[in-house]
Amino acid sequence: MDNLLAARALMGASLAFHIVYATIGIGLPLMLMLAEGLALKTVDDTWHLLARRWIRPAGVLFAIGAVSGTILSFELGLLWPQFMAFSGPMIGLAFSMEGFAFFTEAIFLALYIYGEERLSRRALFLCTIPLTLASAVSAVFVISANGWMNTPAGFQMIDGAPANVQPMRAFFNQAWLHQAVHGTLAAYVATAFAVAGFYAVALLKGRGEADGKKALSLSLAVALVAAPLMLVTGDWAADAVAEHQTAKLAAMEAHFKTSAAAPLIIGGWPDPETGTVSYGIKIPKLLSILAHHDPDAVVQGLDAFPQGTTPDPRLVHPFFDLMVGSFFVMALALICYWWPRWRKKETEPGRAQLKCIAFAAPFGIIALESGWMVTEFGRQPWVVMGYLRTSQAVTPNDGLLLVFATFLFVYLALTVGIMRLLLERKHEDTGGEVTHG
Amino acid sequence: MADPVTLAALVLVVALILYTLFGGADFGGGIWTALAFGPRRREQREALFNAIGPVWETNHVWLIFIVVTLFTAFPSGFAALFIALMPPLVLALIGINFRGAAFAFRHYGRETGREVPLSATVFEIASVLTPFTLGMAVSATAAGTITINYGITATGTAVWLTPFTIMGGVIGLAICAYLAPVYMTVRVAPPLQDDFRDAAIAAGVALGVATALMIPLSLRYAPRFSQRLLESWPMLFVVLAVFAGVGTQLLLLWRRFKVAQLCAGATVVLTVTGFAAALAPDLIVGEMSLEAAAAPLSSLVAYLAILPFGALILIPSLVFLYWTFRGEPSSTLPPAGSENGSPEKM
Repeated sequence: MDNLLAARALMGASLAFHIVYATIGIGLPLMLMLAEGLALKTVDDTWHLLARRWIRPAGVLFAIGAVSGTILSFELGLLWPQFMAFSGPMIGLAFSMEGFAFFTEAIFLALYIYGEERLSRRALFLCTIPLTLASAVSAVFVISANGWMNTPAGFQMIDGAPANVQPMRAFFNQAWLHQAVHGTLAAYVATAFAVAGFYAVALLKGRGEADGKKALSLSLAVALVAAPLMLVTGDWAADAVAEHQTAKLAAMEAHFKTSAAAPLIIGGWPDPETGTVSYGIKIPKLLSILAHHDPDAVVQGLDAFPQGTTPDPRLVHPFFDLMVGSFFVMALALICYWWPRWRKKETEPGRAQLKCIAFAAPFGIIALESGWMVTEFGRQPWVVMGYLRTSQAVTPNDGLLLVFATFLFVYLALTVGIMRLLLERKHEDTGGEVTHG
Repeated sequence: MADPVTLAALVLVVALILYTLFGGADFGGGIWTALAFGPRRREQREALFNAIGPVWETNHVWLIFIVVTLFTAFPSGFAALFIALMPPLVLALIGINFRGAAFAFRHYGRETGREVPLSATVFEIASVLTPFTLGMAVSATAAGTITINYGITATGTAVWLTPFTIMGGVIGLAICAYLAPVYMTVRVAPPLQDDFRDAAIAAGVALGVATALMIPLSLRYAPRFSQRLLESWPMLFVVLAVFAGVGTQLLLLWRRFKVAQLCAGATVVLTVTGFAAALAPDLIVGEMSLEAAAAPLSSLVAYLAILPFGALILIPSLVFLYWTFRGEPSSTLPPAGSENGSPEKM
């Protein structure tokens, strides 16, 4: 493995790891706020107890999110110093604002978790409001930096270096808004499904009756609101990518040759050598319709760009399909759960419904991770689209393979630790019910 | 004075001071769980642990703040430092990571009724490793060993591993070990208070010895830095730091803990300020000035412009946090078992 590949592998592993915890750090505060709000409004204390039961996992997961985020901020410099020297003046603003938001989040989470004996019930609820806002806002801010990498703005290249830097223009880059909205909503859906899955499995095993049903209603209500918005913002994002990141769109759709009335290819394995897709399902004209709202529109293929400037569709197209597919799995599960409740006024989810939810539970995170893969692999070989190649950004330091191996070990150790902690806790829950229930 | 580069550099110094005061005490808590002594060993550990609990994450956000300020306001300096100092920074990062995770695991594990000895050991080792390596990295900026020729930053052990940087690491450790017990004296009652008083006095002596040893070492290994520190106005901070340090020791002896806490903080603030004042106007001594490392004016202005808004949200929140968790540290997580749906804890 050469240095560049080791650096990319390490950055990829770090982000893939961090994204899971960052997602929960955005989604869980919303659920805490809703549960505490419901407790105050309905004077039903079980909502409050439900929220308080989440503080242990929230505490651990948020801590891991914070340390893995610290790792990332260091890795920007340790692995990609030239990228930061180039981009710092433009994306630093987004990171600085995110820093304040994250600070606020850490403070109010600590107040909420540890404040039970020192704060009133109303104050606890009030703490969850800045917590929820700050976590959402921090995502919206930090995604601006990624949006800028995809659609760089706010500077001119003069003699090979960025000049006339306009940080606000860089912040409000073209890709920012659709990525931020789509990404933040995705965090809500992913957390909601993870929580719902946890309780669906518990209910299937005959545990946590009252709690489980409340948690399911709450989390799947969040998912029900967010899921249609995912579809709308996904379409918006695709439109914007079609217009401003044409090479990425071509790689997403495994669209090799520029053509009119382009078909949409679902699944299949793209082969860059031959420029064909094996085993894919073709739907005539749909890509032209989706990308340009015209069945006969010309859609640029990967062949429209100079060689060596486009992403590898083998790393983009499958992840794109996985993201979209995951959405439909979750949508079906939501229909399974809510349809009987709405039409037949059933209040108890049946076993089949619980199994559906349990099956769909991981797909929120899967969708989010694969969506991120699409956006990152889809920008290669560039780190700053059109301006700086990933290979130009890497550190001159040797021995990145060792660093990669070390951090891989760190992540494995953390994952094992978290799993042990969360799973053992679940164990105690069942034992506890006998003694305390 | 009020040019954006200087202002951004001041923000960086303030952030470094705050990280040292809060994050440093946090590391110190870990160091003293390892060095707990006497018959009340267990109580010392418990008290340190409960004091760190609600605030550790917030304390360490200052580090992210420093990193972000560095790459926003001084991007080419950030790139050079992170190339030259990769090994100590990687070590610090491993320490930060294991420390945070071990703390969370031990904390939430312990709360469910289990002791987690492995987590405790990892927490203690990481609490020593991180401030030591961070101290090395910070002092390396003053060592004069980082070289940049035609835009190429030199790498290698000689850049970051010198007697000067090793002593820098030791001073980093000593600062942390010093702050934690001083802060604890105002938060616990006797006899635990006396334990922390003894610990604080011992660490104060260690910090005094380490900084005194640093003077001949820097004359020998970091001549440019020592010249700026000792032969010009930054010397004032050194003198004041010595006075504050000696004052703290006396206040601790007289059991005037509240004032001692302030005085200890002042000692550390003066030490860090003296270091920064001697480093200025450079970011990397003799090699890269703050001016040369700085981002374009528009970026600096944008960064400085958002600071007041950030501070407007941050400062009241921070005050509320530390105010809420003032006084005797307590573990306010409910005991294990109460999470099983029983309303008994209400």
